[in-house]
Amino acid sequence: MNLSISDLIYIILALPVIFSLISATNLLPKDGLHWLNRITATVVFVVLVQLVLNFDVNSPYRDEYLYLDALSVWMLLIIGTLYLAFAWTSKAYLDRDTNKRYGYLRRFGRLEGRFYALSHMFVWIMLGVVVVNNLGLMWVAIEATTLVSALLVAFKFTRTSLEAAWKYVMVCTVGICLALLGTILVYYIQLTCVGNTNPLDWLYLAQHVDNIDTGMAKLAFCFLFVGYGTKIGLAPMHAWLPDAHSEAPALTSGLLSGALCICAIYALIRNMIILLPAIGVDFVSGLCLFFGLFTVAMAVPFVLVQRDVKRMLAYSSMENFGLMMAALGFFVPMAAQAMLLHMFNHALVKYSLFYTAGTIMEEFGTKNMMRIHGMMSQTPRTALFWLLGIVGILGMPPFGIFFSKFFIVFGFFQSEHPWLGILMLVLLAGMLIGILYHVMRMFGGQSKRKHAIELFGVVDSLTLAGLLLFSCVASAGLGQIDVLNTLLQHAAQIVLGGVY
Amino acid sequence: MDYLVVFLVLVVFLQTRITDLRRAVICMASQSLIIACACFWLGLSYSSGFHAFVPGLLTLAVKVIFIPGAVLHLVGKLTNEREILSESNVNYSTMAAALFLVLGYALVERLLPGSAGRDIVAASILMIMTGLSMMVLRKRAIIQIVGLITLENGIYLLGLLLTQGLPLVVELGVFLDVLIAVVVLVILTSRMRLSFMTTDTSVMKKLKG
Repeated sequence: MNLSISDLIYIILALPVIFSLISATNLLPKDGLHWLNRITATVVFVVLVQLVLNFDVNSPYRDEYLYLDALSVWMLLIIGTLYLAFAWTSKAYLDRDTNKRYGYLRRFGRLEGRFYALSHMFVWIMLGVVVVNNLGLMWVAIEATTLVSALLVAFKFTRTSLEAAWKYVMVCTVGICLALLGTILVYYIQLTCVGNTNPLDWLYLAQHVDNIDTGMAKLAFCFLFVGYGTKIGLAPMHAWLPDAHSEAPALTSGLLSGALCICAIYALIRNMIILLPAIGVDFVSGLCLFFGLFTVAMAVPFVLVQRDVKRMLAYSSMENFGLMMAALGFFVPMAAQAMLLHMFNHALVKYSLFYTAGTIMEEFGTKNMMRIHGMMSQTPRTALFWLLGIVGILGMPPFGIFFSKFFIVFGFFQSEHPWLGILMLVLLAGMLIGILYHVMRMFGGQSKRKHAIELFGVVDSLTLAGLLLFSCVASAGLGQIDVLNTLLQHAAQIVLGGVY
Repeated sequence: MDYLVVFLVLVVFLQTRITDLRRAVICMASQSLIIACACFWLGLSYSSGFHAFVPGLLTLAVKVIFIPGAVLHLVGKLTNEREILSESNVNYSTMAAALFLVLGYALVERLLPGSAGRDIVAASILMIMTGLSMMVLRKRAIIQIVGLITLENGIYLLGLLLTQGLPLVVELGVFLDVLIAVVVLVILTSRMRLSFMTTDTSVMKKLKG
């Protein structure tokens, strides 16, 4: 069967939405729903792999609404991998949450359909963010992700999850409204420069718009930066992030942290490329470096004093987004590649960490890390994955994040910001000490409470192992895997302002 | 058009003084109605045919009829709820709105001196700032939703003036998003009423650090 790129991309975009409509009707039996969910995601992933293999990085695909270049394909790969992982871990998670004896959702019937419908819709909209060609539609899709994921954050309808969801919608909608203002200003710039053919079409803008008024471009970029920065979770606008990540169901937290925030980075990059010739590298670089470092600096103290296991992971996500923004600010090819690779590694490792944290919360009946002891002896398999994930996220050598973090930190020195590089290393060391302190306490000792039961099954263990291994192999062996390597190089070129 | 701006400013000032939820929602609806009129006026003066009517009709359907309807339906279920504010607080927020209006005119003079839509830009900056301050300072969920819609209307008005409306597909998407946002917020508010027995958002302060 020989499918063209447009067939492949339409299959990818069609399947999740079909499945979410089916599951919203709630007609399927429970097992059928779980299997159909797995089949949908697996088929999407296989088609995606086919797309990555067939895709020619030198000739981007475009039609009336879609635009696909190396950067979009790289983002599709990240989201698609998380989608696959989501589908293969969701049954274990939902079975636990709806368990007759202890599951939180046991009082409600038939929640699986609603959960699947919302989650697949969420993933579908994120896929939409990275393939649309129009900056306005990109904005629409980002705002839609907020709204769909808000219902997922509040899925359990507890008091705390309602609070988190309310804060999430309010803060993010205000931020995203400012981004709309920025998008309107970009459209205004287009109208004054080239007129209204192909309104807001990214490729057209990137190729044709020049002689932009610098003041207007700076104003537009500031609004876009604040707007999408809110969604990324940059420091002064991060109030929603730890709440939403810690109160959402574990699977949703993984998707939020792994895929959603980097979609916002993607939207920011696309807008930045258009405005870059007018505002100059220095302005963008200063903003990105300052807010990136500030985000990391804000996250470190909160990790040190943290009690809540998922909040700790949320602050660790903030640290990683700060690192990515700083890497974006260097405008060095190597750092841009490292940033894209870091997006990939962080997504995979953080998803598995959030899933493991959700499992730990079920096993020990608490999310307070001070009350969890003796994981090694009581729940060895969970402890193994928890340790692997933590070692991975802290950037220790055998894991993928080591490579991307190393090259990002190297970028500081390469782009002549050595003192900022040293500051970043100190902050990263603080992060490492904070997280390891909490995690090591959880491993050793004896539990004073009743004996915890191992809840990790076979399927989810295999999925998580696959995720960790994939991140490891893809980053360590990047030089050997030609497809990924060329894709990454071209994507980095696009980030730096070249149109494919 | 001048009359529309005057009415708009009047409605926004009124909004800062209203504490009753039902009246606040009706005030929001009338504000959106003025925006819809502005849409028709601008649409007819810049273009003709189908595209001229679409934004106005959409505003009318979504922001004047559907959103206030949904929020009013929710308000009907709430009993004995109004924004708790003392007289001086209300005066302060009206004062703040006046300051925002002055600020708006000052900004317009700096950024776009001598442009035709000076009053409209100032009014939209007033709406954006007032909407933001309503979302931050007021406690009731419903008033915060009203603030959000005010903010959105302000940005929409500014966009309408600067660019004569976004491309049609984007315009449709923006309206869809506003629609879903309000539906999500209404769902959350009604769940809030069930679990907290109130829609006062200041009771939600458990998550910290």
